[in-house]
Amino acid sequence: MLQIQNLTKRYGKFLALNDLNLHIEKGEIFGFVGPNGAGKTTTMRIVCGLLKATSGTVYVDGVNALTHPDDIKRKVGYVPDFFGVYDNLKVMEYMEFYGSMYGMEKQDVDEIAEGLLELVNLSDKKDVFVDTLSRGMKQRLCVARALIHNPDLLVLDEPNSGLDPRARFEMKEVLKNLGAMGKTIIISSHILPELAEMCTSIGIMERGKLIVSGRVEEIMNRTHGSQPLHIRAFTPDYEDAEEGRQYLSTLLKEQPKVSKVTFTEEEALVSFGGDDMEAAELLKRLVEKNILVSNYYREKEDLESLFLEITGGVQG
Amino acid sequence: MKKKLRMNPILRKELMVGSRSIKMSFAIMGINAFLAFIVLIVMVTTNLSSTYGGYDYSALSYLFPVLGCIECGLISLIVPIITSGSISGERERQTLDIMLTTPVSPFSIALGKLQSAMMVVMMYMITSVPVMAIAFVLGGMSWGALFGLFAMLLSIGIYVGSVGVFCSSVVKKSVLATILTIVIGLSIIFVTFTILTAGISMKAYQDEIMKAQQFQLGAIPMIMFLNPYSGFVDFLIRTMSSYDLYTLIEEAGDVDLPAVYGVIYKAWIPISVVVNLLVSVGFLKLASLKIAATRNKKRK
Repeated sequence: MLQIQNLTKRYGKFLALNDLNLHIEKGEIFGFVGPNGAGKTTTMRIVCGLLKATSGTVYVDGVNALTHPDDIKRKVGYVPDFFGVYDNLKVMEYMEFYGSMYGMEKQDVDEIAEGLLELVNLSDKKDVFVDTLSRGMKQRLCVARALIHNPDLLVLDEPNSGLDPRARFEMKEVLKNLGAMGKTIIISSHILPELAEMCTSIGIMERGKLIVSGRVEEIMNRTHGSQPLHIRAFTPDYEDAEEGRQYLSTLLKEQPKVSKVTFTEEEALVSFGGDDMEAAELLKRLVEKNILVSNYYREKEDLESLFLEITGGVQG
Repeated sequence: MKKKLRMNPILRKELMVGSRSIKMSFAIMGINAFLAFIVLIVMVTTNLSSTYGGYDYSALSYLFPVLGCIECGLISLIVPIITSGSISGERERQTLDIMLTTPVSPFSIALGKLQSAMMVVMMYMITSVPVMAIAFVLGGMSWGALFGLFAMLLSIGIYVGSVGVFCSSVVKKSVLATILTIVIGLSIIFVTFTILTAGISMKAYQDEIMKAQQFQLGAIPMIMFLNPYSGFVDFLIRTMSSYDLYTLIEEAGDVDLPAVYGVIYKAWIPISVVVNLLVSVGFLKLASLKIAATRNKKRK
């Protein structure tokens, strides 16, 4: 659906995008993560035809966005990070206005708008003036507005910023529904746990470069080895707990790919560089040595810690 | 297949939003009240100055240029105020980006903004008909003169409005755009008038004092075609007297303008209107280029 090749954007001497390459399949929900100034918004604005690239190519559904920006406008729906609404326009009129901007007939717009307002949970607000809506409602209305022409690709820049938890939840539900409908969505956000929940794939950007991109699970697995194994074990051969702990520590350190063993009150934290199969073999060896294991799992890395790890703690 | 004629979506939205604003109604009411007050003053003073105690209705025909000039002045003030906030207002409201992601071209955006301002001007002109009617019903002016006046005012409105839309696309703040529009408008008036008067003075000086007749005025008066008000002035002169701008320029400078330009100068009004429209298209085009150029800028 979206193919970005060697995309570069310069503002004078400042390099906003540095040879960016990205591929997003149809139906994917792609999350853009990165600190402020990483180039997420610049990329999104180029994809939407709002910004000219210095070099590179952007294809949306096979159409070159840089040479045919007008064709792209019918294929992309955009929700900017900051946007305003018109005073004295009602919700339905707002939708009709943007529908007419795409050359749609009023009758068609009304029909589609009804459905979209239902999707974003604003059906009961269609005769209400837009400026009286809450920020969360305006945000959802903006998503509905971006879908009025049935675009193939929906680009959302920080759709959750400034929203209260309830509004964020509602927005998340809307986006999940859109994902279920098969829409291709690019979404940038600072609320990383939510991105992890919604997105099928993510890309982490820093200083205009895409550092990591791919399916969420794949990226998680890529850094999997750095996550410690949590082992809660008992040593029945040793009556003294301290002695048993000592034995376990020595035993673990003798195992391949174990680099470090530390203990908390209840469990051992083992830095283990092996994969899941090797972790299973380690468990087997422990049991063979008459160690009773009641809890054995690898700590799961969340998107936030992954992001901090990759960007060196520079969070946006 | 027949192509359906569509109303510019920006114009439709602006009309809808504008019609709900109470400000517009109050502004139109205020303007008409002001015009009515002027008529009242003129009628009272005419009555008092009547020699034989009766009412000199023919004097009311002079209401026509007076009201025309007042309307022209008001349009020259109102239109920049409306149009200078058109694009900058979209920027301030953060709605321009969304607009630019739609297939509507920057030129259509600029045109829609101008059209909506012209709708306000037309509304204002239509509502002023009863007041203006006093001049032609009592003063003996024709309907043709009234509609001619409206056409001239509309052409001025389009010119000034397009300058306003252009300034609004250049300057970020609406207030600055209004000031810039007025400055550009006044500069155009001043520069064209200065060139014309300089030419006439030089020609008169050479003819009368130097007796040299080396300097030919030639096409210099044509500079006034760029002046949005020249057609309006010619229209008022022609309506109220047997003169026109061409002969007045000749008399003012005591010069004979070259006959070859006579035909052009005689058709001053239609040419002036066409030039006004062409200049307006030029300003709108510049505005659209400026709007499109947003795509190269870094967001602050």
